[in-house]
Amino acid sequence: MVYLPPPQFASASRPSYAEAYARILAAHRRSPLTSAASVILLVAPDVDSLCAASMLADLLKGDDVMHRIIPVSGHADLEQKRDELATYNDLHTLILLNMGAILDLPSEEWFGNFSPQLTVHVIDSSRPQNLSSLFGAGENGERIVIWDDGGAEGMQEDKKAWEVLTYEPEPDSDEDSDLDDEDEEPEEEEDEYEEGTSSGKRRSLGEGRASPKRRKVDRSNRISRDDRARYAARLEKHYMSGTWHGQSASGTIYILATVLERVDNDLLWLAILGLTYQYNTSRISREEYEKYQSIYHDEVARLNPPLPASAANDYDFRSQNPDDRSVYAADELRFMMFRHWNLYDAMYHSSYVAAKLGIWKEKGRKRLTGLLAKMGFSVIETQQPYPHMAKDLKQNLRHKLDQIAPEYGLVELSYPSFTRCYGWLSQPISACDAVEAIAALLDVAGGVRMEVEVEGARNGGEWFGGGKVWDAGGREGRRDDERENIPPGGEDASGARGKNGVDGGEDGENEESGELQWWVKNFWTAFDALNNVAQMREALPLSMSLHRAIIRQGSSIIDKHDIKTLRGHRVVVLTQGPDLDLFVHPGVLSRLALWLVEAMRDRVQAGVLPNGRKRKSLPFVVACLNEKAGTYIVVGVTAALDFGEVRKNEFGLAFLDAKERCNARTRHGTFDTSVIEINKDDLKVFLETLCEGGDR
Amino acid sequence: MALPIALRTSVIPQELELVACEQLVDIIPLVAMERTAFISGAYGPLRPPAKCKVPIWMAVNLKMKKKCHVVPPDWLNVEFLQDRLTRETSEPQFSELPFRFAEVAKVLLDVASDDFQNPDKLRSLLKDIREARQAKSREGLAKLDHSELSLPNLCALEINEIRPFFIRAMGVLTKLTKDPEGQQMAY
Repeated sequence: MVYLPPPQFASASRPSYAEAYARILAAHRRSPLTSAASVILLVAPDVDSLCAASMLADLLKGDDVMHRIIPVSGHADLEQKRDELATYNDLHTLILLNMGAILDLPSEEWFGNFSPQLTVHVIDSSRPQNLSSLFGAGENGERIVIWDDGGAEGMQEDKKAWEVLTYEPEPDSDEDSDLDDEDEEPEEEEDEYEEGTSSGKRRSLGEGRASPKRRKVDRSNRISRDDRARYAARLEKHYMSGTWHGQSASGTIYILATVLERVDNDLLWLAILGLTYQYNTSRISREEYEKYQSIYHDEVARLNPPLPASAANDYDFRSQNPDDRSVYAADELRFMMFRHWNLYDAMYHSSYVAAKLGIWKEKGRKRLTGLLAKMGFSVIETQQPYPHMAKDLKQNLRHKLDQIAPEYGLVELSYPSFTRCYGWLSQPISACDAVEAIAALLDVAGGVRMEVEVEGARNGGEWFGGGKVWDAGGREGRRDDERENIPPGGEDASGARGKNGVDGGEDGENEESGELQWWVKNFWTAFDALNNVAQMREALPLSMSLHRAIIRQGSSIIDKHDIKTLRGHRVVVLTQGPDLDLFVHPGVLSRLALWLVEAMRDRVQAGVLPNGRKRKSLPFVVACLNEKAGTYIVVGVTAALDFGEVRKNEFGLAFLDAKERCNARTRHGTFDTSVIEINKDDLKVFLETLCEGGDR
Repeated sequence: MALPIALRTSVIPQELELVACEQLVDIIPLVAMERTAFISGAYGPLRPPAKCKVPIWMAVNLKMKKKCHVVPPDWLNVEFLQDRLTRETSEPQFSELPFRFAEVAKVLLDVASDDFQNPDKLRSLLKDIREARQAKSREGLAKLDHSELSLPNLCALEINEIRPFFIRAMGVLTKLTKDPEGQQMAY
């Protein structure tokens, strides 16, 4: 069986997560060449997969399984890693976290040619999943194991359609001699549904298309042409409806740990972080979030002491003793990191509030101060950092918000979430703050110069000089040393790095390999910070300055009315600005796109398509110029019109489509198909083709 | 050895910790294991939820993998230590404590603090005891005699602390006291 149902569907004949895990352990223990390279985890650079990797590493360490974690940034990177992995003899388990669901893994392009002892486990939250990885049988297919969250149970029809089309490729043509025609037709139909999958992407990556493997089946089992068309249409619907997300990878691993009966607070906390990340970045809707959140709520109640009565009233958790590491459930306000900022800033920087009040205009800011004044907070008080705010104000905050905020249209201000205490090491940190910190580390811990605010420097505080350049300590400090040790011969530090770096993609320059290095460093910095609360706390100011930059840019875009509407798509092109090199990173650019979407949500009418269908979504495209590389990074977001809903993101396919049609030179740098890098000169044409073709 | 010169005259505390980890401690295992032979001896079998005596290093290893719970030794609790502390502060001689109490306490509190009732209180009591005993050993050193010095109930770490100074001081004292006698004998 090549896809694993979650344990609730498991039975004696259908193995599930625990059995797959046991197989990994067994393979590890009985192989004579056990080394650290026998179990390898390939991890995508996002918070959810980081959490999942950490949880899985914990479980494996508990079972004394030596493993290796390798960060992978995108499909191109994955191909390189795959080539490297082909040379490892003792590799018997490969685990892909948050990558690979869309890829046709049993094919020769990916893992079809690896030795039979290798098993590939795919734990990926992105959907749709590739059907041949899910349902492919036979020796090749058996090696790919996809850990599913139950969604595949409902795909029986798709399964049938896929099987029919793969195994019985002959059409019902009467002529046996018309082999050529017959060969062509099924190939076309297979192309149609494969276009949405990896082969489509492979084409866009500039490689040749691999012809699909086919089997000549007994001619007597012919399917009628109509049936074939029906099945093909079904498959097309599966792949073409856009991308969305299922259960988080860390949630999957948490279920594994539950089945193995090895859950504890740390694993629970990481699973919570994965879920919060999905919700905060609009990958899942509010309903799904609440579904998982209630499960975790029960787990929290099971594993942690109950909340002391005093804390429940004032939402002000304090650790009960220095070793307290418990997790508490608490409602979270939608203000961005409001426990680490002052109240005014927190509300200013939260996209929900910003949207409703129209923060980018002066009028909006006055409304915000007005709202705060109505709640009884004077301007001075709101500028106080939260820990220094008056205690009674903090206690009344929620109360007052519930009373007064609805007048301004701020109805859904809080959502249920969790907080963790860290003893006396630090203030309790909430799940969304932790996610923000880790995501900021992943995006901008290194590689970009970020200025963070020193506490107390505002409003002419004691330290003059508003900020300092953020550096991660440890790793980054060493890099500065390297630069100082340049011998008088003038050897460039980046040249030295370039020699050590991996040969990059098409650009293969020093900068490219220098760039590869920084994101790997960021990955590991973020990975360390997951378990180290001191580092996580240090990352909070970084995250705040990141948000500030995003707001600055977003407000200026809205102010200058930079958002062009091209046939229902909103397009923004960033070519200048103080933070341009910050927005060159796809992660940061996606956040900007999300912020803009939230901000514009209420101001935009639902578009009407040319054929009269009312569009229920809000497509948004943001492009940013990368001067050094001469390219534009383009991010597409399909948001829903209602707050808390998500829509399937159709931009992955739309980009591919548009690229085909206008022959632009593009590259996919990350696993997210809705992020694309395109050559500078092709941008305009690309955007036009995108918008005109994107209507569905 | 790659230690700085100042540390080469005696055993360093980490080494003492390692030596102390050979002692046996009670655990409640969460996994089953047969009687297994290790270099230092055979331990086990581990049959949850029955208690078992294993060396501390093994208990630490299992605990880090969340495969056991440590049962605190009988002296590592608030009442016992509180009692010893009052004795330390009231009597001039050292109170009786297990020989390697400091190392064992440190290791167990670091790794298995959730298995104790009141770990922060324990830590503060241990700190107080250490300071009281340190004051006493300082006074004792002032009364060094060339012939003998008996400091009963001193513990491994404390002995280790005093050792370099003690040895040299005794050496010098012996020389000093021997010479006058030598001179006398010469006459």
